[in-house]
Amino acid sequence: MLTVRGLKKSYGSKVAVDDVNFEVGRSEIFAILGPNGAGKTTTLKCVLGLRRPDGGEVRLTGSFSYLPEEKNLYPYLRVKDMVDLFERIGKNFKREKAISSLEKYGIDPKLKVSELSHGMKTLTYLSLVLAEDVDLYVLDEPTWGLDPLARSDVLDALRSLTYEGKSVLYTSHILSEVEKVADRILIMKAGRVIVQGYLDDVKASYKLVVSERELEGHLLKRTKNELIYLVRADRIPEGVEVRDASFDEIFEAIVRGERDVA
Amino acid sequence: MWFRIDFHSSKPIYEQIKEGIKLLILSGRLREGEFLPSIRSLAEDLGVNLNTVARAYRELVMEGVLEVRRGEGYVVADVRREALQGFLEDALKNVLRDCKTAGISEERVIEIVGEVYGGEGGC
Repeated sequence: MLTVRGLKKSYGSKVAVDDVNFEVGRSEIFAILGPNGAGKTTTLKCVLGLRRPDGGEVRLTGSFSYLPEEKNLYPYLRVKDMVDLFERIGKNFKREKAISSLEKYGIDPKLKVSELSHGMKTLTYLSLVLAEDVDLYVLDEPTWGLDPLARSDVLDALRSLTYEGKSVLYTSHILSEVEKVADRILIMKAGRVIVQGYLDDVKASYKLVVSERELEGHLLKRTKNELIYLVRADRIPEGVEVRDASFDEIFEAIVRGERDVA
Repeated sequence: MWFRIDFHSSKPIYEQIKEGIKLLILSGRLREGEFLPSIRSLAEDLGVNLNTVARAYRELVMEGVLEVRRGEGYVVADVRREALQGFLEDALKNVLRDCKTAGISEERVIEIVGEVYGGEGGC
């Protein structure tokens, strides 16, 4: 569905995306994670052709729809006017689907965009984007500002897209949410890919070890007399206490570790 | 069909699905020859992705727990109980290791086993 090879993009002397490779398959939910400024949004924009990459290749087969990071709809329009607008300019836009989605989220179509809360704005924009009948949904922070119930509804909506053979590429800050919905993940840091793979495989491939001496691995934390490292499950040294690692711990240890190196 | 998935567990989700199905077979709620829900329907029931259920089913087929009926779906295979209960025994061993480290005596552990297995009015 989507193949990205050796993607590079700089803004002036600042390297935003550095040799990023990944693939999104059919019926797959792919999440890009990383701290602020890691290059997630730039990666999405290069994929969509909104930014011209300095190098690399993006191959996208099929149609796509995009939810930008800034959920800026026209503030002076009413929600129903936005629906009309999408009907005119959207790709293969299914009006019924948008209307029923807005209804489900309890958004009054007569409200002006400027009268919507952050969460409502996200839900309105999402209702419009997901009502476009396309092959790939590229969503930048689709659960931004949502309460837990709305978040859960949105995750269900993303998952049900995959039942129709559609794919989702999205970015998020919220690890617990990614754990619920992503098939594959990619963690970025300073423009580079640090970890990628099926989420289940990533979880299974790391362990925490508690050690009194320094080891090779990503240091998660330091207590008074112990060091807690994240190590690859197939490279656990002798004579240490081994514990399961949560996804939060994997993320934290790896992202922090890279920071220490830099 | 439903069992609880812990999305934040370090145990992969497909592994949790495999264990959930094995438990249903061991407890007799799924019988030999019985059809499993379709991949999509189980994904919806559990709130997990299609690919994750597909992976669990695929691995259960490789382990001989399920069989594919072409064009129909997945059925429970004729499988020995011993082949299903390994994951439970491993979990028990882990707890026992913790007990041992914590200095709980073997006698006490055997007593507890008696309490659980003897059940109501046993012993």
